[in-house]
Amino acid sequence: MVSKRFRLSRRTMLRGMVGGTMVALALPPLEAMLDAHGEAWADGSELPRRLVSWFWGNGVALADVGNPGGPLRFAPAQTGPGYSLTPQLEPFAAVRDYVSVLTGYRVSASFPLRRGHHDGTAMFSGHPFIELPPGSANYASKFGGPSFDQVVADRLGGQTFLPSVQLRVSKRVVTSEGPSLEFLSHKGPEQPLPAIQDPREAWERLFASFTVPDDPEKPHRMAALDAVLEDTAQLKARVGTADRLRLDAHLAAVEQLRSQIDALAPSCEIPPQTAQSNDDIDGNEQLEPVNRAMAEVLALAFACDITRVASIQFSGSVGYTVFHMLGQNMGHHDLTHDAGQNEAVDASTIYTMQMLAYLCERLMQTPEGAGNLLDNSVIFAGSDASSGLTHAVTDMPIIVAGRGGGSLTHPGIHHRSDGANTSDILLTCAKAVCPEITGIGGGAGHSSTPVSALQA
Amino acid sequence: MRGVDVHMLEGRRGEDARRRRLVLAIGLCTAALLPGCKRGSDDGMGLSVGLDGGESETAGDDGDEIPADLDPAPATLRLLLQRQYVGAVEELLGPEAAAAADPPENHAINGFDAVGAAQLALGDAEIDAYERSARAVAEAAAAAGTLDTWLACDPVGAGNEACIRQVVGSFGRRAWRRPLTDEEIERYTAVGTAAAADLGGFEAGLRAAIAALLQSPYFLYQVEVGEPDPDDPSRRRLTQYELASRISFFLLDTVPDAELLDDAEAGLLYDSDGIREAAWRLLERPRARESLGEFFGEAWRLRNLVGLPKDLATFPQWTPELAEAMRGETLALIEDLAWEQEADFREVFMADYTFVNARLGFHYGLPGAAELSDTHTKVSLAGHDKRGGLFGHGGFLSLLGHVSSTSPTLRGKFVLENILCRTVPPPPPGVVTDLPTNDGSVTMRERLEAHMSDPSCRGCHEMMDPIGFGLENYDGIGRFRTEDNGQPIDSSAVLDGEAFDGAASLGTIVASSPDSAHCLVRNLYRHATGHIEGPGEEDALLVIEDAFAESGYRMQDLMVEIVASPAFRVVAEPE
Repeated sequence: MVSKRFRLSRRTMLRGMVGGTMVALALPPLEAMLDAHGEAWADGSELPRRLVSWFWGNGVALADVGNPGGPLRFAPAQTGPGYSLTPQLEPFAAVRDYVSVLTGYRVSASFPLRRGHHDGTAMFSGHPFIELPPGSANYASKFGGPSFDQVVADRLGGQTFLPSVQLRVSKRVVTSEGPSLEFLSHKGPEQPLPAIQDPREAWERLFASFTVPDDPEKPHRMAALDAVLEDTAQLKARVGTADRLRLDAHLAAVEQLRSQIDALAPSCEIPPQTAQSNDDIDGNEQLEPVNRAMAEVLALAFACDITRVASIQFSGSVGYTVFHMLGQNMGHHDLTHDAGQNEAVDASTIYTMQMLAYLCERLMQTPEGAGNLLDNSVIFAGSDASSGLTHAVTDMPIIVAGRGGGSLTHPGIHHRSDGANTSDILLTCAKAVCPEITGIGGGAGHSSTPVSALQA
Repeated sequence: MRGVDVHMLEGRRGEDARRRRLVLAIGLCTAALLPGCKRGSDDGMGLSVGLDGGESETAGDDGDEIPADLDPAPATLRLLLQRQYVGAVEELLGPEAAAAADPPENHAINGFDAVGAAQLALGDAEIDAYERSARAVAEAAAAAGTLDTWLACDPVGAGNEACIRQVVGSFGRRAWRRPLTDEEIERYTAVGTAAAADLGGFEAGLRAAIAALLQSPYFLYQVEVGEPDPDDPSRRRLTQYELASRISFFLLDTVPDAELLDDAEAGLLYDSDGIREAAWRLLERPRARESLGEFFGEAWRLRNLVGLPKDLATFPQWTPELAEAMRGETLALIEDLAWEQEADFREVFMADYTFVNARLGFHYGLPGAAELSDTHTKVSLAGHDKRGGLFGHGGFLSLLGHVSSTSPTLRGKFVLENILCRTVPPPPPGVVTDLPTNDGSVTMRERLEAHMSDPSCRGCHEMMDPIGFGLENYDGIGRFRTEDNGQPIDSSAVLDGEAFDGAASLGTIVASSPDSAHCLVRNLYRHATGHIEGPGEEDALLVIEDAFAESGYRMQDLMVEIVASPAFRVVAEPE
């Protein structure tokens, strides 16, 4: 099944709107508004920068399955620029100048709590995870702090219609062990952000939730939200500390909805609704078409500046995605715990990297100013273990793609730093889109030291 | 049937339950005459264990005694579960409005939606969804004419504002499960009045007010703050309204009905007899059955059967219809035991009968499957494929498996953790968690037994895997088989020192283990209260367990004893 590609025409995307159902009031990056080089706004301020956090579950294949502590197949032999692409990295051939590979890094946030997969997902916040005392109930954990994409969204989010968007491709996600495994983005320990798994819903959220300015219902929706704000503020005075924080989140979300109802529709032409669903066909997930559709929707949303921060959970931690198109019939997590399936694990890694490469290409193909969206974006991609077989959180396989508005090194490099903190990489990516950020993570996972080799 | 006489209650059916309630009512009167009576529940049902906490003052009208050693969890805000939100809308505004309700999904913690709902915060996407849902509900209710059922006022004569105020007060009290303050009534009346003036009429105003009330935190959360107990100001109890909500959302997944709310207003829910009386009345509502089914759908993961992926090359028989038939099987047995027979609920683990439709009967190879219809009917399993009880249900066997094979480990882990509430530690970090390779010549059991040779794996896998070995006669979608990989299956196994082979004999051991009833009590309590019990609630839970046993392990009695327990109505100061 081939996904319906709706073409992004720059001319139609960015032309000013003239009535009809489309409303054109926000400022588009029209060529006329850019400086002579197309690298900044005419007033000298910079083009927007975007951040994508991208996840796949259960790690990658070992070079030698008989040596579980040994190297991964993923890693190139050479370091620096011009590294040769391993079969696992070959999917990035078309965007290779934009792609850096980081190896040897360790999830420092896995101290002091260790637990397979849970400690690996801690990489995405840089905070040690929080165990939820299970008694005799099921084990569960939550993030120890915000995921790094939400640290960035907290700073940049106010500038766009949506502060961030969370997307998911495979639906085979574990929901019984708490938020750490189920979700990629977290505003804080108590606030995991659910991901949209149907591309049509993603389109709706990004392109169809605008309120027409003269909608007669609008003031009354606002009045209802104002009443809710008053109730919530009064309730806050009566509850405990933990609930006060929850109600603060509630208040912030109501305020956000108010600002969305009040927001002007984007100046770009609303792309046609995607027809791609995320339903199984004959019991099989449609990973490739769904991945394409999500990449399309996200590229359009970036081009329209509807949001600048996104996370994509391609497959879940402990996820049981079946790569049926590779002739496999085992869930991915099971596969990674079967040493006899190392080749199948490797094939799934290569496939997964193809999906990530598609997003990179899609952003690179979308012009913006004198360059393209990938020039103004940073993608951080990683997993919850280096090898699922051992649940190791050393030598994590990590990709950083995009130029971050010129702040990241180009062409990309392979950088190896044995035992270094993965939060250093998160900080580098966060700073690339939001230079004011000076630290990421907490406890043993904290970093205030970006990876200078990655910086331009 | 070792240790469990499932027939002991034969004959005690619905008739008997009604009689029991009558006794309760008499007991209540008697208790009122005997202010020193601490155990209002001592009515012949045998609730005579351990509920005393010393010699402190008597209960009187302000409630019976709370054990001194009861140390409850702090009060919290508990988001309505998705099904509770929809149930509330249905109760308030009818089925058309409920069909338009679209609240966001729940996220479980420690395996319970209710625990997640007591800890997690709402985000932008959820608030957005609640706003859409509230507006859609109000619109659907207006179209269905159910908004008017709240109207006791003539907008033509009395004017929009007076009538909107009236509806805000009466609808608000039911939706928020407490009377609104004057300030709140004005706040929401203003929303409705402005909309009525602006959008052309009374109904538009009413819609706006209702949509707003349904977005308030007082609708979206079970607000449990509590109040100092006048008998013992060092303690905190739920207010009558909070308790009515807790009871109703637990037993019925919806807002308290008018009578329960009136009970709360009249202060009839301070002592366990008053609570029992209310609870027995609520259990007669059809919603109670649905609500219990939803609990098991969650606790035993039956809801995951819809859309459960299986490899169709390995299991071409796997279809959504078959999965749905399996879900229906387990729910039908639960309903039969809890509501139709009012039987010993532990029978669920070993019943020598089940409920199948033609599709599932054929799947099990039951004689006479050809005569079955699309509807589930009761059939005997006696002597068939070692089946009997939950562990032979296709749903259980399919849910706890891999995509293309069985998983003795997952089956065993579930029995230990979710049915017996025993803790299984995780694999230690850094250990190679490798399943010996399937070279196509050995059985799953033989492959897994290789774990036992590794000392770092053995401890836990020795706990889990053997339970699953005893179920290896059932494949990944619950069909009976005698061979695996062409090799004969050895399904002899041991749990707690007792040998078993197949589902029915495992079920007998589980049913007779004190841990299964203990675990059922705990899981239901966790769902009902939204938290995992702490050590300070242990004694109160043991009292519930004893009452459950005294009742002959009848599910309805368990639900009633949970809500009547002191542990259900006290909280600690919000932290």
